[in-house]
Amino acid sequence: MMWEGIALGLFSFGIIGFGFFWVIRMEYHLGYLWWPYPMTLGILLVVLSLFTGNAGWSALLGITGGSFIWGATELKEQAVRAELGWFKFNPNPKPNPPGLRWIKKIKAPHL
Amino acid sequence: MLEFTGLWMALVTFLSIWCGHVGVRWLEAHSPNIRPPIIILLVSGIALNVYALFAPNLTLSGVSSIIGITLMWDALEMYRQQGRVLKGHAPANPNNPRHAAYLAAGKAITEDLLDREPQGSPVEQPTAARAQGAPAYKQYREVEA
Repeated sequence: MMWEGIALGLFSFGIIGFGFFWVIRMEYHLGYLWWPYPMTLGILLVVLSLFTGNAGWSALLGITGGSFIWGATELKEQAVRAELGWFKFNPNPKPNPPGLRWIKKIKAPHL
Repeated sequence: MLEFTGLWMALVTFLSIWCGHVGVRWLEAHSPNIRPPIIILLVSGIALNVYALFAPNLTLSGVSSIIGITLMWDALEMYRQQGRVLKGHAPANPNNPRHAAYLAAGKAITEDLLDREPQGSPVEQPTAARAQGAPAYKQYREVEA
């Protein structure tokens, strides 16, 4: 029996749960304009997964990468949720991400 | 040689979260009774996980299990989405008799409050959504019981 597949399913469940956590924290402390950074991390993880030479490690990296890419698209909506009072709103000024001028030229993705 | 297992897993993880995210909202908004779709989601999720145990290779097994577990989570999200509608956190569909009843009882709104750009400061919510929240959901649960 292929228990490894179920393990991957459970791992994706856990990593998606971790996504809820970091999206809320990242939006609170840094703000949604940082979205390109988790997205780049996610893409890098997926690219890295191609070169592991091991199906198991490749799968774990791929799942983590896919989840980070999704999380990056959730940051903008999380900012709106906080502004609506559904999550704790951080009234303090947030740090600008490196490359803000470029980031502002691209509409933050939201699916 | 490139190892494509991770790429498949990444695609499936991303797409299953996306489809679940959009699909649960749509299903909850269009189902007069949410129990049948919940049962279908649960049974499909379990079936995919059982298939994952007997799949011929790791990629197929992992893909099946990821989709299966996501579907099972979506079943739970159907209840949570109903709660969001009752809190005014998700728009009610007036063409759905269940939602129409919430609207008639003043327990939901049709406006999608999330459909806006972040402005950097707290937003004043419509009175209807603010006034409801948890008590409206509690009342609904009492009526259901």
